[in-house]
Amino acid sequence: MKVKEAMIRDVSAIFEDETIEDFIVFCLRQNKSGLPVVDEEYKVVGFLSESDVIKSALPSYFSLLQSASFIPDTQQFVIRLGKIKDDHVSQHMVKPPVLIKPDDTVIYAADLLIKNGLKIMPVVDDEGKLMGIVNRIYLIHVATQGKINR
Amino acid sequence: MNVLTVTLNPALDREIVVENFKINEFHRVKNPSYSVMDPGGKGINVSVILSGLGVRNVAMGFLGGYIGKVVEERMRLISDLITTGFVHVEEETRENIAIVDPLGETITEINSSGPLIKPDDLRMFIRRFEVALSRVKHVVVSGSIPRGVDNEICKTLCRKVTDSGKISFAEGIGPAFEMAVEAGVITVARPDLRSRKLIFGETMVELEDYVRAAKKIIESGSRLAILSYAIEGDVIATRDGIWLFKTKGHIDRSHLLGTGDAFMAGVVHSMIENENDCFLAAKRGMAAAVAEAEYISKELISLEDIEEHLDSFDIRELE
Repeated sequence: MKVKEAMIRDVSAIFEDETIEDFIVFCLRQNKSGLPVVDEEYKVVGFLSESDVIKSALPSYFSLLQSASFIPDTQQFVIRLGKIKDDHVSQHMVKPPVLIKPDDTVIYAADLLIKNGLKIMPVVDDEGKLMGIVNRIYLIHVATQGKINR
Repeated sequence: MNVLTVTLNPALDREIVVENFKINEFHRVKNPSYSVMDPGGKGINVSVILSGLGVRNVAMGFLGGYIGKVVEERMRLISDLITTGFVHVEEETRENIAIVDPLGETITEINSSGPLIKPDDLRMFIRRFEVALSRVKHVVVSGSIPRGVDNEICKTLCRKVTDSGKISFAEGIGPAFEMAVEAGVITVARPDLRSRKLIFGETMVELEDYVRAAKKIIESGSRLAILSYAIEGDVIATRDGIWLFKTKGHIDRSHLLGTGDAFMAGVVHSMIENENDCFLAAKRGMAAAVAEAEYISKELISLEDIEEHLDSFDIRELE
């Protein structure tokens, strides 16, 4: 099975110079946990997820900890979140993004999602322009139906 | 991607069939097929019909809330030739509810007004529209203007299309549409005359009124004007002349649903293949509309349907 048979053909994206607050509003309204970041040619230049925003708002030593229960002061997190809300998306996005093409196999897409701990992955054409996304729950759904090796 | 369609005020069209419908009484829908919902709004309808003709397209505009998500999801289920790229707004997308009573022969309609579009939403949409424009050659801007959006919007969007050397198709009514026509930024203009036969401050009654309006559209800069005339006719104007297309058979008013959008989709499809032949495009649009009129509800017509209906109407040269 190819990615083009399992992808969601939606090109909702956020631009590099839009803000973290814009990103949060976009995700809330579309019930999404992350968005591709595109340039003025619709080329995917990064990816931003809610996890990336949380990481950016946490103290730098957080990455050394195993659990959020170690956060000494939630208030500190809220203050930092307030400080980054007007930042450009490009300051906090993951780049280069993990991308996939429509003619790649779904098995390969699943492999990339699992290995990189992602829920959503942008699908791009040969020029790197956004065509849609694949998401983890849909690939799990396809797998449970036995279609993934088709 | 060939085509971009813009629907600024989409809707979820819900049709519920209730026999012996009476107000102030409890009714139960007998069969799941008696309650259907379809994505609606003129640009979206064109997207859906184009997908049936094998044309890959991207649909943009504004959606909001739960109803907006249903519209988006339904569009994706219809065809994988449709890509969505809507800006999501705070308020709910509108719902058009029609309660059809086949026994009592009544249709009761309840249409909501749609979401308020805030300046930030509009700014984000226009930026995305500009970027998406670089990926297509044909742009359809159709339908009503939502609350919060200025009447200049149709002109603004179509100007961006024609300034970049691409072809704009627009269908609408009222000041927003007329402003865009007069600015000469619509390549193919089709006034939406379903609710009122009024354009450029004049109510059209006689055939010559339609001819005068069609001429004005062409003189303003359009290459093709299409004006629905009575139920079975269309006044067609290009830079080469004016014609009346009239169906050979009778078309019942109840079969008109979706015919205007099929006409536009037929024109777009033809101009993708043959950009310069506006008269051929009008003929193929008319054939698409006649094919659609064979169905009582919105159905996906095929290219074969268009070919089969190319002789289903007479053409009379008016000027």
